[in-house]
Amino acid sequence: MKEFALMMIGAALVNNVILARFLGLCSFMGVTTRVDTAAGMGLATTFVITVSSMADWAVQTYLLDAYGLGFLRTVTFILIIASAVQFTEMTIKKVSPTLFQMLGIYLPLITTNCAVLGVALLLVEGRMGFLSATMFAFASSVGYSLVMIIFAGLRERLVLADVPRLFAGPPIAFIVAGMLAMAFMGFSGIATS
Amino acid sequence: MSTHTPNLSPANSNAALRSVEGIARVVRIEGDQAWLEPEQTTSCGHCASSASCGVSSREEAGIGTVTSRLQARRFHLDNPAGISGFREGERLVVGVSERALLNAALTAYGLPLLFALVAGGLTQAAYGEDLTTMLGMSGGLALGLLAARLNARRLAARGDLAPRFLRRARPDETCGTV
Repeated sequence: MKEFALMMIGAALVNNVILARFLGLCSFMGVTTRVDTAAGMGLATTFVITVSSMADWAVQTYLLDAYGLGFLRTVTFILIIASAVQFTEMTIKKVSPTLFQMLGIYLPLITTNCAVLGVALLLVEGRMGFLSATMFAFASSVGYSLVMIIFAGLRERLVLADVPRLFAGPPIAFIVAGMLAMAFMGFSGIATS
Repeated sequence: MSTHTPNLSPANSNAALRSVEGIARVVRIEGDQAWLEPEQTTSCGHCASSASCGVSSREEAGIGTVTSRLQARRFHLDNPAGISGFREGERLVVGVSERALLNAALTAYGLPLLFALVAGGLTQAAYGEDLTTMLGMSGGLALGLLAARLNARRLAARGDLAPRFLRRARPDETCGTV
């Protein structure tokens, strides 16, 4: 149980998808102008990463490894991720058309989010069991959402700050992102994954 | 574009303070209901002028096109203030409360995930096999989606998820500037 908890803390904070592995940077900069949209995107990404990692693990174990098709891994995972996004979109639309109208805008963006593929490939390297792999993917995506929300909060404050003209907009956002990454380095002594 | 601006009720003014706003275009009026289509932010960030940058939202509807996606996201406003003044093609600023957006996201994504992870954990503890855990987690996910459906129905019945009319959009206002 302790190893399990440490693995999840490591995935979420120490080896954070955005700030340590530098994945998903386009959504990190593009969808973090408001906290509510960042939270919506974060939750949608968490759902897709977790669901697609379940499918990725099953395909890797029972198809690619079993028949020696490892060279098809990347293209297969991309197909699975696209299918998972489509499945999510169809399901949300079926479950509640109102929710689809409110949240559907984030879903197509996730297909091209490299964090989703990155986490899937990390799972394969980790050689984990099904539950460990799913929890690792869930923790990684929670770390992604956490950073998105923190950064969105900082950017909302930056709008009100008296920033020199030279640094206004994306430059100060990149500087703040760098400082946030350094702050997250403080977690590096806690656990390893 | 009409210059008439309907009076906002206190509820609408309050919604304007703590809401996520977006621009939608009136595409059809049926009795006391106005059907709206949200404007899509394109790569250039100017939805209203997108016809000039090659990413037009007025292209023909087809599978996977921007137009078909927008049509799928059409919604209606029930008896909004001053509906008699609305015309087809008019651009309106609509909003949903931040809390509604968060509730919707938690319902749609959080609830199924919670069910799936709990079911997976319980199955693993009971059987300790990957295949059984996978089946248990898939079952939990299906159950979670059912719970999400019920909760979404409850929220919709309370009117928590309904977008509200806030004001008419200025001619130079785009979804990137709201």
